[in-house]
Amino acid sequence: MPVERTAGGTSLIDVLDRVLDKGIVIDAWVRVSLVGIDLITVEARVVVASIDTYLKYSEAVGQVAPVARPVEMPRSSDSLLAENVALRSQLAANESAAAGRRARRRR
Amino acid sequence: MARPASRAASRNGRSRPAAARTTKKATGRARAQARPAPAEKKRQPPPPPADMRRAAAPAPATGEARSKYVYCVIESEKPLRFGPLGLGAEPSEVTTVNFRDLAAVVSDTPREVIDATRENILAHERVNEAVMRNHTVIPMSFGTVFKTRDDIVELLRAAYEAFTDVLQKMRDKLEFGLKVLWDRDQIVREIEKDDENVRRLKDEISSQSGSTYFARMQYGRMVDTALEVMAERYVGAIFEALRPVSTASRGNKPIGEKMIMNAAFLVTRDQENAFDARVKEIGARFDTLTLKYTGPWPPYNFVNIRLKLERAQGSE
Repeated sequence: MPVERTAGGTSLIDVLDRVLDKGIVIDAWVRVSLVGIDLITVEARVVVASIDTYLKYSEAVGQVAPVARPVEMPRSSDSLLAENVALRSQLAANESAAAGRRARRRR
Repeated sequence: MARPASRAASRNGRSRPAAARTTKKATGRARAQARPAPAEKKRQPPPPPADMRRAAAPAPATGEARSKYVYCVIESEKPLRFGPLGLGAEPSEVTTVNFRDLAAVVSDTPREVIDATRENILAHERVNEAVMRNHTVIPMSFGTVFKTRDDIVELLRAAYEAFTDVLQKMRDKLEFGLKVLWDRDQIVREIEKDDENVRRLKDEISSQSGSTYFARMQYGRMVDTALEVMAERYVGAIFEALRPVSTASRGNKPIGEKMIMNAAFLVTRDQENAFDARVKEIGARFDTLTLKYTGPWPPYNFVNIRLKLERAQGSE
């Protein structure tokens, strides 16, 4: 099926998905009070509560099922094994380093 | 204020005892006091005395009686004008409030809570898209109004580091949306065709020999699992195909039964064409899927800066 790209602002649902609680967000009640209050006279100010940026390539988790069920993972079992080996060797390295430190301390 | 109170007083003065008179008077006064409030909300009066000391500072000709709606934050040392694109029945002029090398993109708005109507929400997005053409933006969520220009300068000052850091991270990056839908019934038919166990169960159910309850339960479970596996396979393949042409991705929860993927991708401007071509390839490759491809968007899905109100230090 041919895919056409549509500009962001053409679909209200897609816009709503984004503009209500993403980007720079101020708590709803603060948003309401900001309209009415004179920040300087009440001696309040807006400060950053948290910053998150998402710059990882994260695949969707639990796309269809709300609970992760064991499903066959034909490709990723290899990568899991590889990761296992890597972790084991890292663990071994840490242990030997720790043993080295202990030995040094004993001396 | 004097009229309703005195009218109540004179009417009471003739016939009522003193106790009744005072209560009447009180309500009269309360009514008189309550009256100016709604009027104040509707029509903006000239700045109240509280604003006087601010008025000493050089104020722009537009006046401080109007509040400022904020659309996004960008990097700019100079004040900019984006034209009449903003919120309002008559689209308001979109300008900037600057602090050092940061600028908040704003327009004048009456001092009231902005309703999330279709027009307002689309206007918010329209401004973001216009600004985004030539700037990296950190989008503001919908509906943020500051009472004065100075409050916005204060915000830019307070969050300067955060905004600068995030602008740096988002530099020359655009967001694209990709929703993937499938025809569930068609996929189920395919599963019935390809999966021998499912097919056998289905035959068993339709042949109606004895109770089909357990067969139907098992059939449902098997189809669900098969659907899940297939959805994951599709989604995995699509993410894999787009990984080389994007910087980051986020998977949101799919909406409804037909949707199997609801993702956003962060793409650098120079990879935009490559990303575009790749999405079209995916569409051609999986002809049973429907792709809803949107953008470019401001990077809504990749930035979350939460602001809160705090009592200023030393105000005790």
